[in-house]
Amino acid sequence: MAERPEDLNLPNSIVMRLIKDSLPPGVLVSKEARSAIARAASVFVLYATSTANALAQANKKKTLTGQDVLDAIKEMDFEQFVEPLTECLEAFKRSQQSKKELKEAKAKAKKQERSPAKKGAPAEEQAAEEELGEDVVDVQE
Amino acid sequence: MESLEGDNSHSSSSDAGMDLDTARDAEATEAAEERESLDVALEQEPIADEDVAEVNDESNLGLKFPLARVKKIMKADPDLHLASQDAVFLIAKATELFVEVVAESAHHHTMKANRKTISGRDVMSCIELIDALAFLDGALND
Repeated sequence: MAERPEDLNLPNSIVMRLIKDSLPPGVLVSKEARSAIARAASVFVLYATSTANALAQANKKKTLTGQDVLDAIKEMDFEQFVEPLTECLEAFKRSQQSKKELKEAKAKAKKQERSPAKKGAPAEEQAAEEELGEDVVDVQE
Repeated sequence: MESLEGDNSHSSSSDAGMDLDTARDAEATEAAEERESLDVALEQEPIADEDVAEVNDESNLGLKFPLARVKKIMKADPDLHLASQDAVFLIAKATELFVEVVAESAHHHTMKANRKTISGRDVMSCIELIDALAFLDGALND
């Protein structure tokens, strides 16, 4: 499938924000520098993906897991990232869990709002909503 | 908003910044166990921009890159089949850390030259001199 160039780039404004946040105030960043760092970041995504995927496949797995990524990061000589990444992952999982619970609570509330006469439909809808949360996406579609 | 959870100290390593050590006071935690469900960030893909912003804006996450975009880049790899949501998240977060580290390293060159503006040349110098950035050799020429 054809990818437009911007699809493989990360948002420039966010890259710039990250750059600025890591520097002391008053430091300026040229357009070329920002562009180079943004492109480097895209290459990093690909390099990390490829490295992690190789590890997953070496372990006869078809799905890339978080652990594969962490191992890849070490292999790529960015071991200092592992600790902060692990911590962030915990926070991410917690937020995903609470979002899921919130969504289920909303779905439940919606169901209760409906009149009892429509017993059939809400059950279908809830099943459809639950299905959404369990889909595994084929990355290669 | 912090770009990384917790402290983000800007202290550089004592030498000329040739290595990539960044001083981050992350608390040690156990390595996360992988979840059984391996759903990729499907829930985040079709949602509106403001919802994406909500995901990225969680103060306890500190994640700025949109997961959907990161996933799109990952999909460019023909060998990749399935990826868990955790994997996409970690790559996104690692890339953010990467940007910060490259910026800091480039800045060292800028300071050495007594300049205030980080140039493309400063970035290229990092790539040439830092081993861990060797994968970028030739990748930024166009």
